[in-house]
Amino acid sequence: MTTMRVNLKRCDLITLEGRYDSETAPELERVLRESMDAGVYRIVLDMSRVTYFGSAAIRALILAYKECRRFNRGDVRLANVTDRIRQVFEMAGIMPLVQHFDDPVLAVGSF
Amino acid sequence: MERHEICYASDRGKLGEISEFIGEHARHAGLGEDDVYEIQMATDEACTNSIEHAYDGLTSGQIEVCCYVEGAFFVVSVRDYGRRFDPDTVPVPDVTAPLEERSIGGLGLYFMRRLVDSIEFSFDPVQGNQVLMRKRRDSQ
Repeated sequence: MTTMRVNLKRCDLITLEGRYDSETAPELERVLRESMDAGVYRIVLDMSRVTYFGSAAIRALILAYKECRRFNRGDVRLANVTDRIRQVFEMAGIMPLVQHFDDPVLAVGSF
Repeated sequence: MERHEICYASDRGKLGEISEFIGEHARHAGLGEDDVYEIQMATDEACTNSIEHAYDGLTSGQIEVCCYVEGAFFVVSVRDYGRRFDPDTVPVPDVTAPLEERSIGGLGLYFMRRLVDSIEFSFDPVQGNQVLMRKRRDSQ
């Protein structure tokens, strides 16, 4: 599992890769926290290389989403959610609520 | 009926191996890839619950994961010897609420219930806490 954060002009682009379970979700939390602590509340998560995203990771995502959207200061948007992960997001009821794009470029451009 | 069992310390670092163990036997039992993924996820959430709630996140506990074929079902058992909990007291997350209103508890248990065809909990002072999950072998 690797989580990489790139600071772009419009937003931060965080690229996720591998397995996000209760062991590795804290790393996702940490990277999201880094963005927010730096005052960046517009975040794109590139999900194309995620192989597993459990409830701990979803919790991290929801918490960051809530914090970024506070005071209308930003948002968390998703790019390239693969079918398997989409299924999990549907189950958690978050697909209709979080903006998602096929391409990280489109997601970044949406800000 | 062949039972496959592994036993680990209550360590989140073992979740990947547990997932591989389940995947291997689930495929062997004839589950399609979607169902394999689902039972892997349910097992992952069950083990996480044991680690976090039965053992308060400490790695000094023991988790036993067992799987076998029983008729039309692939069965997974996750057992721990830590603090028991009452699944009926865990709040069901409102998956239709706007995210701003979401509380974040109960998602793991909710996923477990959604991902398998049947789930049973049992708690015994000697035998420990067990969650038994069944997944149909022929649904794909």
